[in-house]
Amino acid sequence: MSVQNSWPASVILILAMSVAVCIAACRETAAPPRFPHAVHLVGLECGKPGQRACLSCSTCHSPSQRERVHKLPDERLCARCHRDDAHELRRVLAIVPDRPYGNIRFDHDQHLRMKGVEGQCVGCHAGVVRPNQPNIPPMSQCFSCHEHEAEWNRGECTPCHSSQDLRRTMPQTFLRHDSTFMRRHGQLASLDQQLCGACHSEAQCNDCHDITQDLTFERRRPERVSRTFVHSGDFLTRHALEATSQPARCARCHTPDSCESCHLARGVSGARVNGRNPHPPGWVGSTLGAPSLHGPAARRDIYACASCHEQGPLTNCIRCHKVGGFGGNPHPRGWRSARGAGEQMCRYCHG
Amino acid sequence: MLLGKRQALLWSLLLGAGRVAAEPRAPDGDYYELWVQSETHAELFGRALLPGPNGALVSSDTVAPLYQYVRLRARDLDTSWRQDSLDVELSLWGRFWIGEREYESTLDGDVQVANVGYRHGAALLRIGRQQVVGGAARYSRFDGARAGFELGAGLHAEAYAGLTVLPRWDSRHHYAYLGAAADSDLRGQGAVTERDRVDNALAGARLEGHWGDFQSAVSFQEQRDAGGLGRRSFGLDTRGRVTRRADVGGNAVLEIDARRFSDARVWTDVRATEQLDVSLEYLHTEPALFLSRQSVLSVFSSDAYDELGGTLSARATSRMSLDGGGFVQRYEEDELGARGEVTARWLLEQSRRTLVRFTYTRVQAPDNGYHSLRSSLARELLPKLRGTGEVYTYFYDEAIRGYRTSSVFAGTLSFKPSEPLEFLCGASVVRSAYAELDAQALVQLRGDFDLSRHGGPP
Repeated sequence: MSVQNSWPASVILILAMSVAVCIAACRETAAPPRFPHAVHLVGLECGKPGQRACLSCSTCHSPSQRERVHKLPDERLCARCHRDDAHELRRVLAIVPDRPYGNIRFDHDQHLRMKGVEGQCVGCHAGVVRPNQPNIPPMSQCFSCHEHEAEWNRGECTPCHSSQDLRRTMPQTFLRHDSTFMRRHGQLASLDQQLCGACHSEAQCNDCHDITQDLTFERRRPERVSRTFVHSGDFLTRHALEATSQPARCARCHTPDSCESCHLARGVSGARVNGRNPHPPGWVGSTLGAPSLHGPAARRDIYACASCHEQGPLTNCIRCHKVGGFGGNPHPRGWRSARGAGEQMCRYCHG
Repeated sequence: MLLGKRQALLWSLLLGAGRVAAEPRAPDGDYYELWVQSETHAELFGRALLPGPNGALVSSDTVAPLYQYVRLRARDLDTSWRQDSLDVELSLWGRFWIGEREYESTLDGDVQVANVGYRHGAALLRIGRQQVVGGAARYSRFDGARAGFELGAGLHAEAYAGLTVLPRWDSRHHYAYLGAAADSDLRGQGAVTERDRVDNALAGARLEGHWGDFQSAVSFQEQRDAGGLGRRSFGLDTRGRVTRRADVGGNAVLEIDARRFSDARVWTDVRATEQLDVSLEYLHTEPALFLSRQSVLSVFSSDAYDELGGTLSARATSRMSLDGGGFVQRYEEDELGARGEVTARWLLEQSRRTLVRFTYTRVQAPDNGYHSLRSSLARELLPKLRGTGEVYTYFYDEAIRGYRTSSVFAGTLSFKPSEPLEFLCGASVVRSAYAELDAQALVQLRGDFDLSRHGGPP
């Protein structure tokens, strides 16, 4: 059989995409400016006789307002001073800051009255005067005063967060969903099941872990190109290789039955009438001393064998592998079991 | 108000009877969450069985399955006797199969999740189809009941029991699970007994503790498969924050029956800087022991491997991240394997309208290995129109069925006319060892309705 080894068109496409990205990056326009809060708050001459009144946060912002848009200044307010740069004014006011946590339900009035805050916004919104810090405080800053331990343990993130935002916004600080999180999510979910449940439904787990259907997640969500799917790309060609490389990973979702059902449907199973034998020649030696490949393979990866040969008394192993049989004693050295000899499994041979 | 009436009707239908006060109660700022999602998927593709002996051609079928998904989740509903005490979750799918039906039923469907939870103070009771994850349970789904209780001092205990939800993809039309042909003369489907659900059951319990930044849990689960013992496991999970920047953790699953660990892992995650995360992990696993203890083969279980490695995640700029990781595996008989991956994600503009991703992967297993390149692009083409494109290429160390490479091209175009609705078209073309040309098309209509009511302070 000839080996297909030509460079595929996809490599050319990937290279072309890389070049296009580099060009796009070079042509990128400058980032829109941040509003110069510091200039307005501390950079203007004010408060002395003959000077304008000093500006404070509440000069422009009305934090008591319910809707975010009403918390922001109107263009007319700015135009009192900026009479000649209306175009620039509109551009700056159109800047939408990042809100990594969505819209937080937060009582500004109550907090501004509190001891320690005393009307000062900058304590939380440090970014307005310090360029390297975010305008919106991280959640850890809320937790520096509010322990919310009971709510945390119950997994109640609402009503501070809206449920809609929680589904679309991944935590940035606490329980940050970084690259490691995907690897740990099973264990984290077991330790914080209620907490996970605050944002995620069980149905979301089933997007990937569903055992009621065989439609995989990457086929249901092809638009999620940023995700790393387990079965992405040409998994059918790679599946045997992946199973050899990380058998434990397959077993987290799949039972041995799932391999056999697919192989049976596609005719690569000894169980199918006129099917193809998946084993190579010499798999089982026909005479004593003849080459027999199945033994070493089974010792290295019994799981692969079990994906087809897992039928209890119908299996072909104990035909040969029994005391006094062609294949010898099936128990490995050091075999221990807490079971009695009357258990069903033991009775296959010892009954 | 109309919305409120619809909700009341919905709950009446779902819960049969009883007054469920999901009606908004404006004065006290009550909160409840209600989320409904509907998805319709129409697919079109040709498929074929694997090539016959010596590469003989086989006939292909053109099929067009139609899938419908419905999901509903409600939390913090009120009952007539207690506020914010009731949670409901429902998720189901149905399929209408158009085309060749030799291996498929015309109509199919199942319930993924359907449960009702009731909270009363420190106690929780959930009944219905649900899942339990982690520890001894790994990932189990069952139809039954789960009860939990806050014991105080950071302790939480729960117990559950029910009938195991069995994989349905084994239940294909004409599927007969008979073992090797040489072993059995049984060839007819009717000769095989159906699996009895009553013979497949599980029960477990769990005790977990949260003390500051330290969490730990012990768990136990016993699973009966086909009337006999499937597995009996004891699990230990623990994690804690040792410094402001470092977490450590570990978990282990002990197969009580065979008196050995089937899975043991220790890890540490370090936030070296605000921009750099480092993770190290050691894993010992014996996946052969995932076999049911009903399997005769389980007595041969000796497959095991150790894995050691780590990952790096760096946010190079506010719009660019680099992730890399590498793991080496040592199998029995001192065979080695390795896998590594490097990924770069880049948001091209400040407005975050374009995402580019490049990934290189290298896998080396005892028998074969591959290099892979993946390139993805997602872009907001117009305010409500998004497009994605992806290319994968794999280069195999050893030819698979005579092919050293395989390639995948995929693209989507989605239109979101309003917040709850999204319409998506997608297509993919694959050239691989198992398909000279595999072309698929997909059309999706998705509705995501958040009918929650948010109370509390502004």
